[in-house]
Amino acid sequence: MANGTQPGRIDVLQGTLDLMVLTTLESMGPLHGYGIARRIEQISEATLWLNEGTVYTSLMRLQQRGWISATWGTSENNRKAKYYSITRSGRRQLKAETKKWERIAGVITRLLSTVQQS
Amino acid sequence: MARLPLLLARRRLVDEVTEELESHVELLTARYVRSGMDPDEARLAARRQLGNTTRVREEIYTMNSVDWLGAVAYDLRYAYRLLTKNPGFSVAAIAIVALGIGATTSIFSILYSVLLKPLPYKDPGRIYSAEIIVPERRGQLPSLPASVEAYLAWRDTRSDFAEIAALGPWECNLTGDLDPERVGGARVSANFFSFLGVSLAKGRGFNVDEEQPGRERVVIISDAFWRRRYGADSSLVGRQIMINGESHTVIGIAPPGLLVPTGTLLHPQVPFASRVDIWKPISAMKRGLNNESWDHGVLVRLAPDGVRETGRQQLETIINELVRVQMPRLKTNVTVQLIPIREIYAGKVRLRLLMLFGASALLLLTACASLANLLLARVVTRASEFATRLALGAGRARIVNLTIAEASVLALIGGAIGVALATFGVRVLASYGPEDVRLMTSALVSLPTLTFAILASFITAFACGLYPAWRASRYEMATALQEGGRGSFGGAGRSRRILVGLEMAFATALLATAGLLLHSFINVMQADRGYQIERVLAADISLFGDRYAKAPSRVAFYHELASNVRALPGVSAAGMISGLPAVPSTTTASRTILLPSDAIFQQVVLSRPVAMIRGVTSGYFAASRTALMAGRFLSDGESGPVAVISESLARRLWPRELATSSIGRQIRQSNTDSPLITVVGVAGDARPGALDREALPVVYRPYEQWANGLMTLVVRTAQDPAALAPAVRATVRAMDHNLPVLAIHTMREIVASTVAERQFQMMLTSVFAILALLLGALGLYGVVSYSVACSTRDIGLRIALGARRPDVFRWVFARGMQPVLVGLLLGLVGAVATARGLRNLLFEVAPTDPLALGLMSLVLLLSAGLACYPPASRAARIDPAAALRSG
Repeated sequence: MANGTQPGRIDVLQGTLDLMVLTTLESMGPLHGYGIARRIEQISEATLWLNEGTVYTSLMRLQQRGWISATWGTSENNRKAKYYSITRSGRRQLKAETKKWERIAGVITRLLSTVQQS
Repeated sequence: MARLPLLLARRRLVDEVTEELESHVELLTARYVRSGMDPDEARLAARRQLGNTTRVREEIYTMNSVDWLGAVAYDLRYAYRLLTKNPGFSVAAIAIVALGIGATTSIFSILYSVLLKPLPYKDPGRIYSAEIIVPERRGQLPSLPASVEAYLAWRDTRSDFAEIAALGPWECNLTGDLDPERVGGARVSANFFSFLGVSLAKGRGFNVDEEQPGRERVVIISDAFWRRRYGADSSLVGRQIMINGESHTVIGIAPPGLLVPTGTLLHPQVPFASRVDIWKPISAMKRGLNNESWDHGVLVRLAPDGVRETGRQQLETIINELVRVQMPRLKTNVTVQLIPIREIYAGKVRLRLLMLFGASALLLLTACASLANLLLARVVTRASEFATRLALGAGRARIVNLTIAEASVLALIGGAIGVALATFGVRVLASYGPEDVRLMTSALVSLPTLTFAILASFITAFACGLYPAWRASRYEMATALQEGGRGSFGGAGRSRRILVGLEMAFATALLATAGLLLHSFINVMQADRGYQIERVLAADISLFGDRYAKAPSRVAFYHELASNVRALPGVSAAGMISGLPAVPSTTTASRTILLPSDAIFQQVVLSRPVAMIRGVTSGYFAASRTALMAGRFLSDGESGPVAVISESLARRLWPRELATSSIGRQIRQSNTDSPLITVVGVAGDARPGALDREALPVVYRPYEQWANGLMTLVVRTAQDPAALAPAVRATVRAMDHNLPVLAIHTMREIVASTVAERQFQMMLTSVFAILALLLGALGLYGVVSYSVACSTRDIGLRIALGARRPDVFRWVFARGMQPVLVGLLLGLVGAVATARGLRNLLFEVAPTDPLALGLMSLVLLLSAGLACYPPASRAARIDPAAALRSG
């Protein structure tokens, strides 16, 4: 993974990728893998280095947990493509995860600020 | 069944994701081309953007995998890498497991051989030993073996038993060209070997007509004896050998490792030698019940359609019929009891073996607790790793699996080494173990044993890994990060202290049990048996050949020998006796003792006591230090038939009377018409070496009046008795260089051999206890050290704030000893509870024996104190400035 990293960009952690995918599907409605990757790129304003293949493992993981569902459709280049959409339990999970993430982020921020002070 | 669709679905999912990925590459390439890239370059950039797509496919594949074996293999590889990275930890953990598995597997191997493995006979589940219970005799003899007469009656009447075999003890002197030797053997019915379903290694079995007097001079010898004495000479079969001065033909050689009853396994009243190496047909003559000794074991084999209880009743009817016909005035109704042959071999040692197995299991539990403790310590140090894994999306189950995989690798490697240890251990145990165990134990590790070891290892892995794994999976990233990678000390610290408490409880239980057994053993060795054990030498000396055919020549020889030995320097007393009271003897006769007024034998026989008749020379009482309760001891050259009787016989013959009043009274042996014998003295009772049962009362007769049986020379010495053995040997040689001097042993050795099982058990339990204590102490040391290391800052702060160093020491020490005290208490309660169940294994020791329990608690506390001391003093030496800076 490291050899694909570009300077100045942050690697996307796996756990956080799931959260990003969920958020994207929540805000954008049904999307295929490519669309999700583009949306994350757009949102992150190119500060994140996303190994786009991992989007598909994330999608599989979320599907297995029943947080998203998939249907077949046709893509822009006229190919068969899988469109993913968030499920009701996915929305619930997203809410919970968001809260948790905010808490952790807060803790880390506080922690980091004390380190800087000392 | 459900696998196939799943496999197909997985394949489809991978195909689909491949398609999605391809489409993704195309869309991205198109986008780059639109932004002005060269198409080839664009495709390359798109692929780079996507990363390793093979890996994505693989992950999708495993995510939908039912291939748990693959995941297990992955986990194991991971665990292996982890363990090689930290060899110190791994070696310690593996050693702990190897110890636990090695101990349990060794004991299980013996337990299996003795209690579970099918006996090496044809259809062993149908073989029983038949014993007779005479209700009127029960007080003195719980059961009687059979007589030849009974055996013949049973054999010749139809019953539910397909086959019936008889066997009785025999000892013989072998002479001829080779060194004279005394050999333990058995007289058996002709069908003995075919009854057991054993085929001979060489030669043939006995023919039925060889049970007839005159034709019975044929023998079969054991494989071991054939190799030892005859150098495995195959021309021996068909040759003549001299046995007890008569020539016998060797007709066969038994297969190696043949298992037959030895010692008193079959019945206390049918004592075989400790090894049986030679078999000769019984003389199956009808002599009438009256003149018979009830000294033959009878084995019966249930017919395929036979019913045990029906068969038992048939035997009972037959023998009662026999009694009614032959002794019509004997008013009794005897019962027959059938004892499964497994009980013959296993009955005596079952409780001991189970107890030892329990002890080894306790050691394994201690090992488990130690290992869990080590793993927990590691989980704590790796808290941040687990937190990171969880943050990266690893499932909790995955973390649990990883930790269990680590424990499994440790347990399996440890288990393998444990099995290797066990193969060695079984050999050692068997060679130090009692004879019966030795006979049945093969040193090889068998399949069931191996299965046991593997199962035990896995259970160990799960038992040890589960809790640490659960803890590992509970780490939250936030907490782990907050604690700077050190993990939550409080929680794990508490569970580690609980584990140490458990280790201490197990160690205490083992120590306490070992203490009780040790105290019992000391009591047994020091118990008053009615004869001296220290500084006494005993040598078996048997006379045979024409020179000693007549009793007077034997009498003269033994008297001369006794006086020659008495003349040796360092000897304070010497005498002869037919059979030491310490060991069951094959040649000591027991007889019913009658009173002069008894007129009709059949009317009185069941109400009169049975006693062993022992011939002695005058020096015996002084040499053995037998106590004289009344009257006098025997002297050489008594004028009329006289006897010294044991105290218990006097009590049975003349209850409610003082011992002194027995003097001058008369008794008869065996029959109402046998000569009257005058009681001249009453001696203290002599108890068997093992003290496992009450011995029969004894009638001591002057050897010249009772010149039967194998004689044992008993010598009391001023110094170490073993040093006198060569002189005794030389004395015998000087009198007749043809005589074999059989075993010469000190009385201490003889008594020790009768309590070998007890000793074996006591020593093994002690070893287990010491190992458990060691594990517990090391665990305690680890936990206290770790807690000191973790609270260095805290302690530094306290010292900086003015805490006195002795207080710090006391604080750490007391905190360390806390789980020890709880464990000690639990362990003691457990030990006392189990000791109640094992009361039969104790000897004159209560389960709550304060000496044993107190001493062992002290040992535990001392060891725990030693383990807590270094970390506590380290804590007291903490430099507050350094501690605060480093934090």
